[in-house]
Amino acid sequence: MVDQQSTLIAIALMASVVYLTRVGGYFIGLQLRHIAGIKPVLEALPGCAFMAILAPAIRQGSVSEILAMSCVVLIMWKSNNVVFATGTGMAVLLLAGPYLDGI
Amino acid sequence: MSTYQSLLLGIRSSGDYFISTFMFGVMFGIAASAAGLSQWQALLMSASSFTASGQFAALEFWQSPLPYGTIALSVALVSSRNILLGMAMTHRFDGHSLKRRIVWLFLLNDPGVVTSYRLEQNVDRLGYITGYGIAIMASWLSSTWLGLSVADIFTTLDLGAIDFAGPLVIATMMMLFIKGSKTQSTPWIVSSITALILFELETVNYLVLLLSVAAGITAAVIQERQLRG
Repeated sequence: MVDQQSTLIAIALMASVVYLTRVGGYFIGLQLRHIAGIKPVLEALPGCAFMAILAPAIRQGSVSEILAMSCVVLIMWKSNNVVFATGTGMAVLLLAGPYLDGI
Repeated sequence: MSTYQSLLLGIRSSGDYFISTFMFGVMFGIAASAAGLSQWQALLMSASSFTASGQFAALEFWQSPLPYGTIALSVALVSSRNILLGMAMTHRFDGHSLKRRIVWLFLLNDPGVVTSYRLEQNVDRLGYITGYGIAIMASWLSSTWLGLSVADIFTTLDLGAIDFAGPLVIATMMMLFIKGSKTQSTPWIVSSITALILFELETVNYLVLLLSVAAGITAAVIQERQLRG
């Protein structure tokens, strides 16, 4: 059991770290913004970050996880419906996972 | 559009991610309860950190004595994409006082940033993303509370099957980014290929993220220079 003081210190530490990542990136960007042509480079960053997380996750994914990901991408491509896409992906994971991953 | 109107637009636009955040919040509440956090401690963590992936990462190490350094490092690594989101918004938050930007950046959030790409030029981005963040925060807190409240019923629930839910949500944001962003696709294609190569080389996770984003930036810079002749 973690005591209350340690818990509060850890929560404060986490909050500080996360806030610094939010503010830090913005202020790094402010230092770079005078560079000619930097705007499209900076605006491409979220896509690079998402793909850097997604590519290895898909590579090591099980059959059901890859199927769930395919459903999400397809539904998003066709409809932009985040709830339907996520819900379908989750349903595939929970319902088809035990069967497909047992193959 | 005024900042206030943009803030309301952000709240109104957040419906989709409000629901998916709610699902994660319930899971976090259950996981936090299982880790031994009291209701107010878990809610304080959700309100002050406001980071689903970071909070789940911290719970992995939640045992006495708390390893502060490990927790801080793992939360920093998982939250490092916030740095890139903040950088991406560098040109979008102009016209606000520095004080307001510093305070409102607390609510910087992935879906708000990604959906802001396809907005009309006249929408105030800081107001929109903050409004989006307020709605997501409301979802995150209420669902954390719900998860804590029902945790006893789900003591035997295996959350392992839904480990992949995070990548699924990121995939929805990537699709919105592809469709809404006017940026070229080369940087993120280079980034994903680099990530795959590094993964195959068994590189540690944080280096995969760092180096593949660096490769994506390099590709974006080269492409921009070519476009400018």
